[in-house]
Amino acid sequence: MKRDKKDEEAGGNIYANLDKTSVIQETRAFNETPINIPKCRGVLTKLLYLRLQEESIGRAEATRAFFAITKLWQTKDVTIRCLIYLAIKELSTASDDVIIATQSLMKDMTGREDLYRARAIRALCKIIDAGMLQTIERYMKQAIVDRNGSVSSAALVSSNHMMRQSAEIVRRWANEVQEAVSSDNQMVQYHALGLLYKIRSNDRLAVNKLVQKFSKSGLRSPYAVCYLIRIATKLLEEDDQADSALFQFIDTCLRHKSEMVVYEAASAIVSLPNTTPKELAPAISVLQLFCSSPKPSVRFAAVRTLNKVASKHPQSVTSCNVDLEKLITDPNRSIATLAITTLLKTGAESSVERLMKQISGFVSEISDEFKIVVVEAIRSLIARYPRKHTVMMPFLTNMLRNDGGFDYKKAIVETVIAIVEENPDARVAGLAQLCEFIEDCEHPSLATRVLHLLGREAPKTPNPQSYIRFVYNRVILECTQVRAAAVTALAKFGAQVAELRPSIEVLLRRCLLDSDDEVRDRATFYLYMLQQSSQIINNFILDQLQVSPIGLEKSLGAYVEEKKFDKPFDMRVVPIAAQPITHTEKPKPKLADPEDLKPKAPKKPEHSERLGALPQLAQLGPLFHSSSNIPLNDSVSEYTVQMIKHTFTNHIVLQFDCRNTVEDQRLVEVAVVLEEQGDEPEWQITDRIDIDALPYGETRSAYLVLEYPDSGAVVGQFECSLKFKVKDVDPKTGEPESDDTYDDQYVLEEVDIGVSDSVQPLVRQHFNAGWEKLEGAAEIDQTFALSSVSTLEEAIKKVSELLGVAACERSDLVPEGKSNHQALLAGVFRGGHEVLVKAKAAIDPTDGTINMNIVIRSDDDGVADVLGSALN
Amino acid sequence: MGFFTTLTQWLGMGKKQVNICVVGLDNSGKTTILNQLKSPETRVSTVVPTVGLTVTNFSSPFINFNAFDMSGQSKYRNLWESYYSSSEGVMFVVDSADRLRMSVARDELWLLLDHKDLANRKIPLLVLANKMDEKDALSSAEISTSLGLDLIRGRPWHIACTCALTGAGLTAALEWLSTNIKTYLDEHAS
Repeated sequence: MKRDKKDEEAGGNIYANLDKTSVIQETRAFNETPINIPKCRGVLTKLLYLRLQEESIGRAEATRAFFAITKLWQTKDVTIRCLIYLAIKELSTASDDVIIATQSLMKDMTGREDLYRARAIRALCKIIDAGMLQTIERYMKQAIVDRNGSVSSAALVSSNHMMRQSAEIVRRWANEVQEAVSSDNQMVQYHALGLLYKIRSNDRLAVNKLVQKFSKSGLRSPYAVCYLIRIATKLLEEDDQADSALFQFIDTCLRHKSEMVVYEAASAIVSLPNTTPKELAPAISVLQLFCSSPKPSVRFAAVRTLNKVASKHPQSVTSCNVDLEKLITDPNRSIATLAITTLLKTGAESSVERLMKQISGFVSEISDEFKIVVVEAIRSLIARYPRKHTVMMPFLTNMLRNDGGFDYKKAIVETVIAIVEENPDARVAGLAQLCEFIEDCEHPSLATRVLHLLGREAPKTPNPQSYIRFVYNRVILECTQVRAAAVTALAKFGAQVAELRPSIEVLLRRCLLDSDDEVRDRATFYLYMLQQSSQIINNFILDQLQVSPIGLEKSLGAYVEEKKFDKPFDMRVVPIAAQPITHTEKPKPKLADPEDLKPKAPKKPEHSERLGALPQLAQLGPLFHSSSNIPLNDSVSEYTVQMIKHTFTNHIVLQFDCRNTVEDQRLVEVAVVLEEQGDEPEWQITDRIDIDALPYGETRSAYLVLEYPDSGAVVGQFECSLKFKVKDVDPKTGEPESDDTYDDQYVLEEVDIGVSDSVQPLVRQHFNAGWEKLEGAAEIDQTFALSSVSTLEEAIKKVSELLGVAACERSDLVPEGKSNHQALLAGVFRGGHEVLVKAKAAIDPTDGTINMNIVIRSDDDGVADVLGSALN
Repeated sequence: MGFFTTLTQWLGMGKKQVNICVVGLDNSGKTTILNQLKSPETRVSTVVPTVGLTVTNFSSPFINFNAFDMSGQSKYRNLWESYYSSSEGVMFVVDSADRLRMSVARDELWLLLDHKDLANRKIPLLVLANKMDEKDALSSAEISTSLGLDLIRGRPWHIACTCALTGAGLTAALEWLSTNIKTYLDEHAS
């Protein structure tokens, strides 16, 4: 008692020092007769508090507590009853035999006391299983259409949760849910719409109808309208040819009387892909109005949305600049930050300095999250105005020096790295800044990144030796990970700058005395390499292995298994993986579905594992290259088919992912039929795997194996169709109605096999070294006039797509205003033959035509020819 | 009865609150009996098979009862035992016309009587031979033999014929239960 008082005086949490065992002991109070109500109330609260702290309670203990709680039903006390519901919900996962409370909850749910009904429904739906759900189905239906809003809402929300485990039963309540949508209660309407959408979400046509119906009938609840807007947006995002009525609906919502709906509509329009400036204009002007709203939350929402649009459509946002200027001095720092960064994205070059000054005034006052926003704005600004780096660099330096979390520092370092890579003028300043940063950097992962960059970029600067001190300091001062990275960076200096090599060797020799073996290993390796010829230095220090680690491990494993050690391990059989330079993150869709309709393209190791599991494909050798998913028909049709092309050394495997979206059909014996176009069919199907059965809603894969023709051809065009037998099934049970089947055929789009399927793009760090090595090998030199493209960048992109090669040394970026450009492209042909391409493009200033000279070098004559012929 | 009233007044106790456990095979009429015992305005019109348990309150002249109405379905029978320890009386309901499952009822009854939470507590057992209005119903003596009630030692027990639909026999049976619970409680209070 005395301690309790003390706690209260201190204003502390009286539950802070709860002991789990003693609370469980105290639940014995529930067994007493008569029940001591205040005591039980206290114990229940403690129990709930423990659960909410994620304290784990043993199964036996939880079950005992749960049974004790059921005994409390005897009291008529309202607070106890409400606490029971909460406790049942919390213990529902931890305890056994929770079903015991079913009858009591059912009684409360159908009883007269409104106070209990809604809560009982929520608790009941937590403990019920699919089997029992049918017994309460009748009551649930009644509750959904109940006159009392809270009861109806509770039933709807609970049904929504139950969709996860027993969707079939909940689907049967669609009529009641539909009735609830027309309820007068705002919350009920919103919840009902949400559930109705979930019930229908598998059927695109029905969702379309749903949106159309309710967009006309005019929902009363603003929440429901917002939800409807989100559904419509999702439909529009998924389908380019979607009904224009959908867009019109969102557009009319901009004139809704509720602020929330207006904002939702505006942000929906803004987030849509492929909107024209004309379509955007009304949304932007609404946001502009919101900017001068007296409510801070509305201002924040508006400016945040504008900030997002600014990176996509800077032109459209410029009209809001005046309002945004006013917001710079907003008392809310978050709003001010967003306003400034938006202005930075849209503003003219001249205003940049002024804005930067303003922002540096309060940058120390805002949270890390917004500092990152600022950094990102600066990054996009520098990309647009490269000359402004003189203003930005000192600012970034300042930000780097200040305190901040990892994410914040990472954003800055990434920005500086991007500047250094993209802008040769800023290289020296940027590197100097990064050097200073790693002198006092607490995040090893950032330090290693910077060291990697130093190794790559610093030797190209006029004064490389000045950086060596910074790098070597790392070897002396830092943790293992950073020391190892520093050793690699040192070696790269030595490899690229011949004059420095002797001094680097001295430093590396000192590293041989390091305490960690990884560091010593690296030093030994590089030391030896640096004493070899320049060719070897190029191959082993400057160009790293570009293979997937998993693939390498597998190939080596297979080599050891085979035990034929008289012939050396062939590096060329290892699947190649180019490391992506930058990652782009895609925004998540607003309505995340539990089952994503579009499966994400699996990564290459997953592909190779999946294919390797099929015995027919296992002997084809290692997987060389997999294309992305290519849809072969409309994603809204009855059966959707997507294709992935997998290239092996001598074969190409076509994987067809078929999905059946017809509820009352089951497809059996699904086969893909290919017919080659042209007069002389060359390709042969050597093996096939069909789909035995394709039930509704599932995706299964069929495979065709084609052998590359002996003639050396690598291209082919095929007409493609799906042949299958249809079995009618009962949509409710999924059982076939009869054994009768009928044949059907479904025509798909054409399948193309192109040169790019035989080539794996590869980013080489040092293109010229490889180019010189292939001097005298097979070479093809061709010149074209391109009429279909209008910019150099586009032309280079087209060529690299056609040949399946990747641009090296960032040569795909064409500096603005230049009339000619040379792109360095590299890849690996099937079988491990290296392919290097130099593409020189020039634009004719008078008529805008583009001429392109392409030189292809390869270590194999045939390969060069094949690529050359692809260009024609 | 006058003696008890004076006694309670003398001891300074009001109306006593006790818990009883109502068990028995499925479809023996437990929920219907309890429904009949409730005051007329709180009765429900239809009775459905119980899932888990319900807690019901009703009162006799001297005692307020909290009845744990347990589900009799076989999958829930193992849950009965959780409620033994907090009960001051057991009401075991038998379907008198269900000759076939009389042995099942016997097994369940003896499992109950031998349970550790009940074996050492001398709380009264009331067996209700329900559905006596059915034409091939067994008599209470026959049920008593087939359940082996005469083997019970050291525990007050009583068998009563009832009809839950009309309420016949219930009042007398409940009176016996209240009296014996009272005695049990008085013995343990002293």
